[in-house]
Amino acid sequence: MIRKLLSLIILFVGYISCYAQNKEVLYDFQEIPQAIMVNPGMNTIYNWYAGIPFISGIYAQGATSGLTVNDIFAADGLDINQKIRDRALNSLSERDEVNGIFQVDILNGGFRSQKNPANFFSFGMYVEGYALNYWPKDLAILAYEGNADRLGQRFDLNDLNTSGQFINVLHFGINRQIKNNLTLGARIKLYSGIIDIKSTNNSGYFETTLGQNNLLRNTLVSDMKLRTSGLDALIDANDNDSSVASLFTKRGLFGGDPGLGFDLGVTYNINDQTVITGSLLDIGLLYHSSDVTNYTLKGSASVEGVEVILPDALNDPNADFWEDLVDEIEELVPFEENSNNYVSFRPIKFYSSIRYNFGKQGTPIAADCECDNNAESGDRSLYYLNSVGGQLYAISRPRGPQFALTAFYQRRFAKVLALKATYTVDKFTASNVGLGMSLQAGPVNFYIMGDNLFSYGNVADSNYASFQLGLNIISWERN
Amino acid sequence: MKYIPKSILAILFCTVIFSSCAEKQDFDQLDNLDIIPTAEASILYVETPEYIINQLNGVNFYSQIFNFDAFSEEFVADNVLDGFITYEVENTTSKPLDITFEFLDEAGNVLDSENFMVNAAPTAILTREIAYGPAGRSLDIIRNTSAIRVSATNLGDNTSVSSLPNPVIFLRSSAKFRIRLK
Repeated sequence: MIRKLLSLIILFVGYISCYAQNKEVLYDFQEIPQAIMVNPGMNTIYNWYAGIPFISGIYAQGATSGLTVNDIFAADGLDINQKIRDRALNSLSERDEVNGIFQVDILNGGFRSQKNPANFFSFGMYVEGYALNYWPKDLAILAYEGNADRLGQRFDLNDLNTSGQFINVLHFGINRQIKNNLTLGARIKLYSGIIDIKSTNNSGYFETTLGQNNLLRNTLVSDMKLRTSGLDALIDANDNDSSVASLFTKRGLFGGDPGLGFDLGVTYNINDQTVITGSLLDIGLLYHSSDVTNYTLKGSASVEGVEVILPDALNDPNADFWEDLVDEIEELVPFEENSNNYVSFRPIKFYSSIRYNFGKQGTPIAADCECDNNAESGDRSLYYLNSVGGQLYAISRPRGPQFALTAFYQRRFAKVLALKATYTVDKFTASNVGLGMSLQAGPVNFYIMGDNLFSYGNVADSNYASFQLGLNIISWERN
Repeated sequence: MKYIPKSILAILFCTVIFSSCAEKQDFDQLDNLDIIPTAEASILYVETPEYIINQLNGVNFYSQIFNFDAFSEEFVADNVLDGFITYEVENTTSKPLDITFEFLDEAGNVLDSENFMVNAAPTAILTREIAYGPAGRSLDIIRNTSAIRVSATNLGDNTSVSSLPNPVIFLRSSAKFRIRLK
């Protein structure tokens, strides 16, 4: 089993995950309290809510571009080596990626200010992990094919672009209805980095050319680095059979790498039925200062084997040309280790939307209560049975921002049930249909949502899949 | 829609969300995965000007053992499958030469040798490719090679001078081997 796992890692090295993290179904889904996490400026329609610890928000997502699990592992009788050659080596580019992320709310709650009901506060703590790896095209070719018969072909070391992070986030946000038609929100996040692995912004190449003296010349020009934080402690804990959970708890509760971030959000009612929203998430950074180990490979060297040129070589009859060559290479391109602290930036996410509400009914849907969806409230969406609109999502990535465009339709069934359907186009798929449901049973709110539903017939052949669910207690009563 | 009870709608919804499935995947295929790159690099280059040959007494003007651990590195020795060693000898001196490459193990025993009889200039560049592995010589030669001895014998005199500019004897070599990574 371990061997297979190792093989999987080898097979997909560099191709193990990224970070799309588009929560397009959840975004602006006002009936679900967790929607405030993707827009702190969302119109809040409840008095208070309390997420059930550990199950108020469970989110997982995986995405690949260019290749699926099924492409390689389908039981189709084809030779796996040929499949890898055809579908990965000869097809994928260095911009293709695989991504996976999970997020679990440990605590999540919110309450409306008694002094000023225009203010709504939210708070909580969640853990998040992700891994990102672009397909290391040139390095994969080098590993699978080698450098033979490829004179003059440069293998770009920049193709190695990978990162992964496991953090705990403590957050507190304020949401304020500034005017009837304007709501602003902001959230502060205190990060505690548990594990961080990052190898990005590498440069250099490996090349084989005809030699000047000998038959061939191998040239390595390298400026590569791998930064890690918390990894050694994890390996030690694993090797020594000590508790990995306690290590995570210790580093997650501010015993790890500190960080600070902000979320910003806005909702603006253009008119009674048309609403625009926007948010910027995770404007922040972490300072990695604990258990840091970095590795670098920097320098350049060209080698044509052991070179013996007489008469100079006769000067030292005891010379060890091989060892001299090895020492020279190690000096020119040293592989070094250090524990220098470093900073990593969180991937900033941007959401925006425009929504048109229609199908007005006489009373607000949210409750029999008098929530803030009264006649004086800014967003009276919940008076309407239907909403339709579009969303734009972007995330900063090492190889440039990624975008996703979503069209959605939302339908409310009295105060009990709300459904949202989305259609999203992004780099992973152009046929991503998602569904979300919020079910209200008394004070209990249950929500569930899934993505790329057309791929559910064979998830292994899907380029993108995500789901999210959670359970909350909501008070709709206004103070 | 209003005639559909909301509870049924919710159940239907959950059924859709949870009704994903996946075609059977065969992860045992990984056992058949072969990662076998072919690596290519130069091995040894020796350059001897004609005047050096003339200065040295005796016909066996050069013999030296070079430590060469590239092949016997554990990873290479354990995973090499087959390959070639290519030799190239270029002689622009006025002397016919007898050149021998010998692969030695740690104890100095000769595992393999390759001999080149080279005519005096002007003569063509001599190139030879030797296969190792199932279709060639034993791979154990490669796995156990710890040093290379190069010997050169002058089959001519110690006085003649080539009419070509900068007369030199060049010995070049490179290796191209398939190595199993997985």
